[in-house]
Amino acid sequence: MKKLFSRRRRRELVVALGFLLPNFTGFLVFTIGPVLFSLVVSFSNWNLQRTVPFQWIGLANFRELLHSQEFWLYFINTGYLMLGMPLAIGGSLVLAILLSQNLRGIVVYRTLFYLPTFTSGVALMILWKALYNPDFGAINAVINGILTHLHLRELLGLFGLGDVTAPQWLLSTRNLLGVHVEEVRLTASQWGIGARDAIILMGIWTAIGGNNMLLYLAGITNIPQDLFEAAQLDGAGRWAMFRHVTWPQLAPTTFFIVVMSFIGGLQGGFEQARVMTGGGPAGTTTTLSYHIYTKAFEEFQIGYASAISWILFAIIFVVTLVNWKFGSKELSY
Amino acid sequence: MKGVFLGIFAGLLFLSVVAWQIQPEADDAGKIPLVWVSDDNPARREQIALFNRLHPQYSLRLDPNNAGMEKVIVQSLAGVGPDLFDCYDGFQLSAYVKSGIAWDVTEPLAAAGIHPEKDVWPAVFPNILHEGRVYGFPTNTSVNALWINKDLFDAAGVPYPQGPWSWEEFLPLAKRLTRKDEKGRWQHFGFFCDWYNWPQFVIQWGGQIYSDDGTRCVIDSPEAIAGVQFLHDLIYKHHVMPNPAEEATMASQGGWGTGTMALFGAGKAAMALGGRWWLCMLREYEGLRLGAVACPFGPVKVYRGYGRATLINARSPRREHALEFLKYEAAKPYNDLVNHQADALAPVIRFCYTPEYLHDPEYPEEDYNAVWRDVMKYGVPDQVSPFINGQRASRILNKQLDLVRQDQKPVADALRTAAREINAEIQKTLERDPSLRRRYEELTGGNRR
Repeated sequence: MKKLFSRRRRRELVVALGFLLPNFTGFLVFTIGPVLFSLVVSFSNWNLQRTVPFQWIGLANFRELLHSQEFWLYFINTGYLMLGMPLAIGGSLVLAILLSQNLRGIVVYRTLFYLPTFTSGVALMILWKALYNPDFGAINAVINGILTHLHLRELLGLFGLGDVTAPQWLLSTRNLLGVHVEEVRLTASQWGIGARDAIILMGIWTAIGGNNMLLYLAGITNIPQDLFEAAQLDGAGRWAMFRHVTWPQLAPTTFFIVVMSFIGGLQGGFEQARVMTGGGPAGTTTTLSYHIYTKAFEEFQIGYASAISWILFAIIFVVTLVNWKFGSKELSY
Repeated sequence: MKGVFLGIFAGLLFLSVVAWQIQPEADDAGKIPLVWVSDDNPARREQIALFNRLHPQYSLRLDPNNAGMEKVIVQSLAGVGPDLFDCYDGFQLSAYVKSGIAWDVTEPLAAAGIHPEKDVWPAVFPNILHEGRVYGFPTNTSVNALWINKDLFDAAGVPYPQGPWSWEEFLPLAKRLTRKDEKGRWQHFGFFCDWYNWPQFVIQWGGQIYSDDGTRCVIDSPEAIAGVQFLHDLIYKHHVMPNPAEEATMASQGGWGTGTMALFGAGKAAMALGGRWWLCMLREYEGLRLGAVACPFGPVKVYRGYGRATLINARSPRREHALEFLKYEAAKPYNDLVNHQADALAPVIRFCYTPEYLHDPEYPEEDYNAVWRDVMKYGVPDQVSPFINGQRASRILNKQLDLVRQDQKPVADALRTAAREINAEIQKTLERDPSLRRRYEELTGGNRR
């Protein structure tokens, strides 16, 4: 006790607090403060327009949004856009394995693959918007070229599919699961490729060479070499080494990436909606985060928007807990 | 270690003092600064330069980065808003007024001898008048008419249309002017129309978005359905207008307008529905021979009118000074400049009846300026209802009209859904806002519909 409160320790404590204080104050004022404020506000009808008198309305906002079909449609949109997650994570792992090889110029490759991450997101989205243009975008130019030059239309015509055309991408409400535009159900008439799939594809491209790849790369670098040597001595091939050494050793990294991807995915979709689609066509790319924005800053219903934020937080919290409960069981290292 | 930190701190302090000392003196030292949140384009910059020249005591600066109603409201409420900002429609004005952002300039303008209700084109009234009070002055205004590409008409041997004319007279012409090449690719369409102009077809067929008192959405009326159906048919039945996929070839040009304008400029349509403000961009196309004619009319002879107004931030400490800008907008130099720039039409009616407006010496080939002025008297602004947030209503309408445009939902079904959802939303708004509820009950005799 005497040692703990020695003069030197006290001085060190004061210095440490001095260093921590600016950051902590910022965290308190700009993060914790607004978060708690939004919780309080979610129980009110706070509207930026003065004609609506401020009132505490208890759980009315939560009740209203849970009964709102719109909320569930946007929740489905949010979930749909997360369907690319496994591909993105798998792609990152494959890329990290490739980039962990001791090749000449590997640093250049690593930089090139990381390029999308440090390029402005808005610039990338504008680029992809141009690529997705159904008529003169590069993607449909390739698809149309393939369909024409390989005479695939004629071939498909034999099976009654001769009218196959390139997708309309960002202009279409169609989707690979056939999710209905206005109701919470599936319908065959909506089956196809549309705006949601276009955003998923772009997301996979961006994510594969992003931070997940770096995390995997760091994870692979940290695997003790003697494990690989021992496996080699036991006659393990490349696949066996991946399955029994690399993959288990990367389990904590994978767990971290999955948890963070779920959190990011549930919070995601805002920039894409804002820059590429305006939440359309017909609301099919409006996610919960974009919904929060429109409710708060376009419709001025700050209380209602705060309630959506807290429901989103609750969803993320539950999903993370589930991940933690089931995912962490697999962590043996 | 302590010494290192102290040394860094002292170094940074010294550099800050040096930077403060050597900072360049502002050009507008001694002038009163004013900030206008608006879009950035050459026309706007010229308008600002003229104001600064005529009012040397002020330094008006453009801030294009904070445009958008939500930004203006949030920043102004937080005390960091601009002095002047734009208002694009009646809903925006109502939102600005209800948020306490728009300054009521009825008396200050009257004291200066400016009476917008008498002086300016009615098409832009909703942008400045709210419940009998004046909250700003129009920046410009426009009513849609038809642009024509004379070269495409000449190539097809079709005489230029003369107004007034009907959509029935228009259709055979548009069909003759829609061409494909030998490979079946579109050469040009007979007609282009931005989909957001759908309200024009509603009002031309005698429909309305809301009932006269604004208490109910009536977009599902047979007239409104017929109007939107005609627009839909222009694409899918008559094939004189591109569908969304074909329209996607029109890359967004940013700045002044949309891809429709750019594609029309590039000769991909013989006629296009638009405003005089298209000229800002169309003048850039060398060799483009343009004409203009009044838009065909439907059962009712009205056209869609719109405009932009400048409002003053009620919370600005310089709002009295900002008033000078509104006076400038009401004066001849500004109005003449707007007409010369073709930044739509000057807001003050009498300044559009000048020889310079009809025949600008700098643009002698523009012999159609009378058209834009003459259609103004048929201009009807977009309807808004005080009982629903305009953005919310737009989102509901746009969702349904997106489905119509993509031919995924019949027009009647889509408009019925839109009307049902908007009416439900009106009821929700009434639950939230007691002042609106009282007003609604006065209008409806206490009946919730």
